[in-house]
This record gives sequence, C-alpha cells and structure tokens, in this order.
Amino acid sequence: MAVTKEKVYKCLNPVGNQEPVETFPLAPRLKSLAGKTVHLSICGEADIWVPLEKKFKTEYPDINWTVHKRFHIVPMELTEEERKTTDAVILGVCW
Amino acid sequence: MPYLADLEKSGIPTVIINYDEETGKVEHDSVVFGIPKLRHIVASRNSPGGVEEAEKLAQPILDALTRPLNAEEKKSGKWSPKEKRVLFEGTLEEAEEFYHQTENLPGILNAPFATYTDGLPVIIPTEEKVKEMLTGTSHRPDELITLQRDSAVQGFGAVETGYKQKKGDVVKFMPMYRTATVEQVAVNAVMAGCKPEYFPVVLALAESGGGTGDGRGGGGSFVVSGPIYKEIGMNVTNSLFGPGNPANKTIGRVGSLFWRNLGGYKETVTTITTIGSPVTNGGLMFAEYAEGLPKGWKGLNEELGFKKNESVLMSFRAGSWGVGQQNAPGVYRSLQRTGHGAIARFLDVKGIVGPHNYLEYLTKDLWATMEGGVTLVFPPQIAQDMSDYGFKTKQSIYEWLWKRSFEPVKNFKLRGNQDFVTNGWLGIEKTSGKHWKELSDDYMVPAGGDDPFGSYNIMIMNMQETACARFSGGGHSQGYSIDAWR
Repeated sequence: MAVTKEKVYKCLNPVGNQEPVETFPLAPRLKSLAGKTVHLSICGEADIWVPLEKKFKTEYPDINWTVHKRFHIVPMELTEEERKTTDAVILGVCW
Repeated sequence: MPYLADLEKSGIPTVIINYDEETGKVEHDSVVFGIPKLRHIVASRNSPGGVEEAEKLAQPILDALTRPLNAEEKKSGKWSPKEKRVLFEGTLEEAEEFYHQTENLPGILNAPFATYTDGLPVIIPTEEKVKEMLTGTSHRPDELITLQRDSAVQGFGAVETGYKQKKGDVVKFMPMYRTATVEQVAVNAVMAGCKPEYFPVVLALAESGGGTGDGRGGGGSFVVSGPIYKEIGMNVTNSLFGPGNPANKTIGRVGSLFWRNLGGYKETVTTITTIGSPVTNGGLMFAEYAEGLPKGWKGLNEELGFKKNESVLMSFRAGSWGVGQQNAPGVYRSLQRTGHGAIARFLDVKGIVGPHNYLEYLTKDLWATMEGGVTLVFPPQIAQDMSDYGFKTKQSIYEWLWKRSFEPVKNFKLRGNQDFVTNGWLGIEKTSGKHWKELSDDYMVPAGGDDPFGSYNIMIMNMQETACARFSGGGHSQGYSIDAWR
C-alpha cells in the first residue's frame, strides 16, 4: 500500500510588529528628600490619596510638597517651568 | 506612563502607585515606554478609607525616590522582540491545534485565554489563503497601515481622551503600540473568515485602529456607509444585527482579532479591562441603507464629509442596547395611521392621524439612568414619519434629542461619572463657558453628551416593520475611506 504524505502548509503570523524601543536607566535617586520639592501627581482613584497626602504634609514638613490633582486617569503634567524646580514625582493611582 | 518615562529620562526620579491587579500592565507599559525598571508600589483596593494603606505605603514610596539604583536599574539597551512571517509549518490538522492553543492566565483565575484567536475557531492563514485575500486590494503586502487622511480621534466618556493624527501617520494598534502591514491585516482577515472582496473594508477598519481603542477597545463596533455594502452583500434589512450574513459577521469579528494579535491584548497582562461588553463581543458591524433616507436627510458618508458615492467606515462605541421606552411595532403604526393605542394616549393625540413626534415617547426619562448620546436605527417608514413631522434633516433630530437631555445642575451633580467629566467640578461647563462652581443649581446642562453631532446618530435600515434599534453611544467620529483601500 502506497503511503501518501499529508500536505505541509506554511501558515502566516497574525501578530503585529513591535517597533524597537530604546531602554533607559532610571534617573539617579536623591540622597535625601529634606529641602527638596516633591510633586504629588494625583489622578484616577483618589481614595488612598486623601490620607496619604495628609500624612506626607504633616509628617514630612521639611519636604516642599507640590500637587496637581485631576480626577481623570490621565495625569495633569508639570509645565516646563515647574519641572525646573521639581526634584521628584509620585504618581497614582493608575498607570 | 509616557509622562513618567519622559520625567525619568529627563533626570527626575519618579515612583508610581498602582493597584494590585494593575501590576502586570504597569510592568509591561514601562518596557514599551523605555523605562523597564520603573519603580512601582502596589496598593490594595480593600483598605477602608485608605488610611491603613497610606500608613503602609508612605515609607516605601519615599524610599523609592532615595534608594540608590541597582545594576539593572542603571542599564540602557534596546527592546526589540521579533515576529517571524511564517509562524507555523505543518499539516492543516497540526496547524488547527497550533492556532487554537490557549494559555492559563493567573489574572483571570487561570482560565484559558486564546493565544492567537478571539476564542472562536479560525480559518488557518496559510500562505495561499493570505495571498488570495491580498487580491482584494491594490496596496502592497509590505505596506504599513497608515492614515489615508488627517484624523481626529474622538475621546470616550470619562476615561479616554481624544487626539489628532495626520495623513501618513503609522497606525498603532493597542495596547502594545504595535504596527501592522497590509499582509498582517490580511492574515487576521483570513482567520476571521472574510472574503477577498471584503478586504478594503477590513483595511479601513485597520486604519481606524481596528477597535483596539486605548488598549481596552473591546474589539470595537463599526458601521459602513456607501455603495460597497451592496457589492459585498452586507445585510441592511431584517436581522441585520442577527446571525446569518457572512459579511456583517466576519468583518465585525476582525476587530477582536486585531485587538488580540495586532495590538497584543492579553487580559491582566498587557491591559486591564473591567467586564467587557456583550454588544461588541464577537464584533458589531452593520451598514447603512441610504436608499431609505427621506428627502433632505444625508447619508453617514456625507455627514462625515465624504461624497454620496464614496464608501466609508466609522468606528464608534456602542453602549447599552435597547435604551428608551418599549413598544410593539404595531403600536407605532396605530399612533401614526389612526391616532390610537398606547403611544397616542401618551402623546395625548387620541384619534388624530399622524405624523406625531414618536421621539417624545421613545426618549421619555431616557437620561434618568444614563448619560451621553444615543444611536437610533430607523426603518424608512419611521424616518419618513419623522421627516413629515418636521425633522427635515438628521441634524435637527440630533439637536432635539440633545436639548431634551438638559437638566438642572443640582440633578447633574448626583450622577456617577461627573466627578471625572468635570474634573472634580474644577473644569469649564461647555454650554456656558463658565466654571462649574459658578453655575447656580437651577442652571440647565446636557446629560446627553457634549454636542448634538458628536453624541447622536440616526441610521437607516431597510425593513417594513416599524421597529427601531437603539443603543447608547455612537454619535459621529472620524470616517475612514474604504475606497482608499481598494
């Protein structure tokens, strides 16, 4: 009895192209936060932020706290001028 | 995430707080935006009042800004995953098994999640089948999907912001910000069961972003306007939203495959959705029956700035199905023909022959439990009755509906989405141009969307029965030329 080989097909890939991404190191961390300007970028769900903002401002008075608050999940960004005087940013709660 | 990436690259240390189930998404996005070791602190949604959580997280958050970088965090490099053109070689039986593979995702309690499909069986994209699909367009297989004209992408409710794009911009498929060639679109079209003659519609759908949205697209919903509906046999009549028509079903399905394959959607890994939508699950695609438009009413293609003989596709967000008051089709006919029945009693026109304004009945208390606009799909008779009543253009209906949605600020304040929409009442109210906090409680504002054209839509289907389909959302957004992809 003759053996027939089943046909072999080349099947194509439905997955899209991931463009190459240059990856960067993180910005150097601060030696200390004392006397520094730390920005709170509050967006999305604000629940945790109510006690957190209060705690930061009460318990760390030697830090200069600045705040941008937005209810939308997209944060309100620092202006170029604000960036010049900002030493660090804490953002949440969302991506 | 692009914001944090920009800050880190410019030398400002950051830390992000995310909820537990968002961890995979945050780690994934940090790679896509070039800061793979972004520091993040995981919070719980279940902390009452957030107090306990704030106590727990405060110090780790501050530590993330001061703890020296480790070797991995100091590294730079390149992330460039490669996809091969031929994914699998084997018999059809082996290919069936390969393309229908699943993986168990911990984020969805280890339920299986399809690796290459929308969860339904697919046609195996052999090289021969893809080549056949490519006969449906004059565009080269290796051409990247780009915008064929300038585009303004509409935002969506409280959670997605709109943006502008230019002709020639490469289309990014979300959530992975991937690109695609004409051939890769053809592979997905084959898998969905499309025929080559549908392919220009599929390419226009790809140009629209393919229902991938901002990554939580859900596969999207689409409408076709123009003569191509007849060329490819789309059903624009009875059961246009039901099963049986290959064009409506398979083209609509492509959006889900684009989301999974071109965009890289993987639940809880590359994006986080909430519960999905039964309206768009499986694809929502329909076409306009422009032949049924009353005199003076424009087809969707013309409304979007195209010519009557041009075929276009519009991507939109269909929300809740079947909104508004219910009625049997016969009750509608009784209203208009003899002035009898429930709607005639409601409108207080008993015994008076129509035309009467059926929309008054349909939209009674419509915005009591919803916000934003609606799309109404009328059969020709209802459209003609509305025209005879006095709505000489579609736009006049959009304006009537929008005005009907107005309510006092004091009521508007009690709605669920408004803290987001108004940015905590710090933003500007659009009809007055004033700050929300300046407005009196009795000032009237629209619960039914920002503007009549952007929030409402009327489409015509071909049907003798006087029933209309209606769903929240829709409105008008950017149109994409199907003819440009022939």
